[in-house]
Amino acid sequence: MSGAGAREAVFPTRMNLNIMQGRLKGAQTGHSLLSRKRDALTTRFRGILRKVDEAKRKMGRVMQLASFSLAEVTYAAGGDIAYLVQEQAKTATFKVKAKQENVSGVMLPAFDAVREGSTDFNLTGLGRGGQQIQKAREVYAKALETLVELASLQARMHSPTAFTILDEVIRTTNRRVNAIEHVIIPKLENTIKYVVSELDEMDREEFFRLKKVQGKKKRDAEAAELVKQQLAAEGINVDNEEDAETEEEHALDLLAEKDADVMF
Amino acid sequence: MGVATYTSGLSAFIIVLIALYLLFSGSAESFNVGRFLEESSPYMWAMVGVGLCIGLSVLGAGWGIFVTGSSILGGGVRTPRIRTKNLISIIFCEVVAIYGVIMAIIFSSKFAFVPETELYTPSNYYTGFAIFWGGLTVGFCNLLCGISVGVTGSTAALADAADPTLFVKILIIEVFGSIMGLFGLIVGLLMSGKAEPFSALQSAAVRI
Amino acid sequence: MEALFFNVDSGFLEGIVRGYRAGLLTTSQYHNLTQCDTLEDFRMQLSQTDYGNFLANEPSPISTSTIHAKATQLLVDQFNYLRSNAVEPLSTFLEYMTYAYMIDNVILLITGTLHERDTHELLERCHPLGVFDTMPALCVATNVEELYHSVLVETPLAPYFRDALSASDLDDLNIELIRNTLYKAYLEDFHKFCSTLPYPTGEVMHQILAFEADRRTLNITINSFHSSLSKDQRARLFPSIGRLFPEGNNALARSDDLEGVKNACEYIAQYRAFFDTAAGQTNGSGPGLDDTDAALTRLENAFFAHEVHLNKLSFLQQFQYGVFYSFVKLKEQEIRSLTWIAECIAQEAKDRVGDFVPIW
Repeated sequence: MSGAGAREAVFPTRMNLNIMQGRLKGAQTGHSLLSRKRDALTTRFRGILRKVDEAKRKMGRVMQLASFSLAEVTYAAGGDIAYLVQEQAKTATFKVKAKQENVSGVMLPAFDAVREGSTDFNLTGLGRGGQQIQKAREVYAKALETLVELASLQARMHSPTAFTILDEVIRTTNRRVNAIEHVIIPKLENTIKYVVSELDEMDREEFFRLKKVQGKKKRDAEAAELVKQQLAAEGINVDNEEDAETEEEHALDLLAEKDADVMF
Repeated sequence: MGVATYTSGLSAFIIVLIALYLLFSGSAESFNVGRFLEESSPYMWAMVGVGLCIGLSVLGAGWGIFVTGSSILGGGVRTPRIRTKNLISIIFCEVVAIYGVIMAIIFSSKFAFVPETELYTPSNYYTGFAIFWGGLTVGFCNLLCGISVGVTGSTAALADAADPTLFVKILIIEVFGSIMGLFGLIVGLLMSGKAEPFSALQSAAVRI
Repeated sequence: MEALFFNVDSGFLEGIVRGYRAGLLTTSQYHNLTQCDTLEDFRMQLSQTDYGNFLANEPSPISTSTIHAKATQLLVDQFNYLRSNAVEPLSTFLEYMTYAYMIDNVILLITGTLHERDTHELLERCHPLGVFDTMPALCVATNVEELYHSVLVETPLAPYFRDALSASDLDDLNIELIRNTLYKAYLEDFHKFCSTLPYPTGEVMHQILAFEADRRTLNITINSFHSSLSKDQRARLFPSIGRLFPEGNNALARSDDLEGVKNACEYIAQYRAFFDTAAGQTNGSGPGLDDTDAALTRLENAFFAHEVHLNKLSFLQQFQYGVFYSFVKLKEQEIRSLTWIAECIAQEAKDRVGDFVPIW
């Protein structure tokens, strides 16, 4: 019984049984709570993963579209407009704002894209290819938005501060859940089982002992009866003395008997 | 173009100047076409005729070859295969010069020495004038024929360079252009055919 | 008459330029090129055409910009050959052709100077056709005033600058306005110059230049709809030549939307056709573009197609200078098409690969 699994080093007493049962209850409640947290975090994690995946695919498409629109510009405007566009851009029209987001008590960084309308180079390609340039600009702005979105997600995924936190939390929770499930609960159960079985054993011993005592008592009683009857046949005066003596003897016997029993 | 305008303007001016000089200096009678024709030597007419014949022909042929040649040269840089085929255009132009040479030889066969006193006969006048105008006809025909063949040849060379199937088609047009030179040749032959060589046979002929 | 004397000076060069023209890619060659899967295939296919081994020495992952640069270099070499063999008045004519690129280059340098960049490195970005000997001298200028004066002194573009702009304009005006003002002056001047040339040249060139002017007018109008350009300024950028001039130009200067542009072109059958095809094909086009966008793209393509058509026509006439202009324009178009195809192959956008203008 003691080799069936790890168990707490406790004395198999009824109080300990109660304590253990209480702890088991507690462990089970804790387990269900933690596993719920774990599930929530994992769902969140998966959600972000899916979003990242989607965003990556989308980025692929959008970037392709964008560089294609640049090809269209080259076709229409015929040549290198990069420099002129560079020089005519005076203020940034596309800005990224960083903020923090709370997920199950974990702070995650997030980025927001902000666009401001600007007319910095809307005259570029006035003579030819102007529409294409404007179109390419729109497409690239969209591509940038996707990029920012992706960056925001990626930051959660890979930055040392952010997503690792979530990851770490998930892992810790996971570890705890597993520990409760696979170590603590079985241990407690084992202990309980052990305590229960020990207690049973003791019960059985007690019972046996009682039986034994009863049997002895019965024998003694019979013997006494016999003696009494003999004595009754002889006389009745010694009764009381005899009784006291047998009582004393019985107690001594009990001790002796037990010793013998233990030895046995 | 400017040179042509300038030259023609200048010559018109000089002619007007001379005419006005003759008119106002009271010697307008000296402008007498009939006397000029009578007094000028039939030899002069014949020689000038032969000269014009060969000269204009060669001018036409040369012009044509030059127009064609420069195009063949340019076209041949990128498509060397046209250079042999398009020699035909050059030959067509050359033929024009040959017409001139032929006519010049035929005309010159009429020449013979006649003493001046027996030169001015109707027959000799006829020979002189026939050779002159015959030569002029052949010369101009060949000049224009040479130019036309040259321009067509130039087009043919470029067309051939662009698309080889066009060569034969344009060559036909060129042939038609080239035939015009032949017309001049025939007419020139007819014009001089009746003319006798210069001779002093009728030595008693009247001196006009 | 032109046939008599044209070849004296330019017969050889005309033959050369027509030879160059025969080197332009044909429809079947374009077809082969569009079938390529990689840029390596593309290079293989090109090596069988007139381009030969022009990409042979490039390291293996070739970029589309390399193709563009190399093909342009080829064009520049050919043009320079023509130019070095040319005599008057053809040399002046070729000179005029380079002015368009010169304007772009000078504008580039002005932009650099205005933003106080190192203008020397800009020299490498200049279009090689627009390079002139004294161009490095422009780089010496450090402020706008100096630049203006050195442009006046050093460049052949001086008359355009003098007439259209003052030194303070360089500072105040948008660079695109300067460019288009110069271009307008250039087109008008070129138009006038062509009139002085012997008969067929002017006739052929006027058609092409008129279309070029009209195209600019239309483009400027359409591009300036949603910008800060006022109608008054817009009207001043319109060249005073072309078939739309003067009535159409006035209508365009007042128009507010595409409909107005359409109405202005209504009485020129060919230009009307552009808008008809542009509108007609929109219905069937993909859902990705909205209608105006698609219509404008079609319009742009229609312009290109018509330009190619006009330039092709000029080859039908011999003994005139239009072929030189047309050849350069066609070659440019071809380089654009090549870059487009290469770009489509590189980006695996096979569905758009046919959107170029084949020449023959």
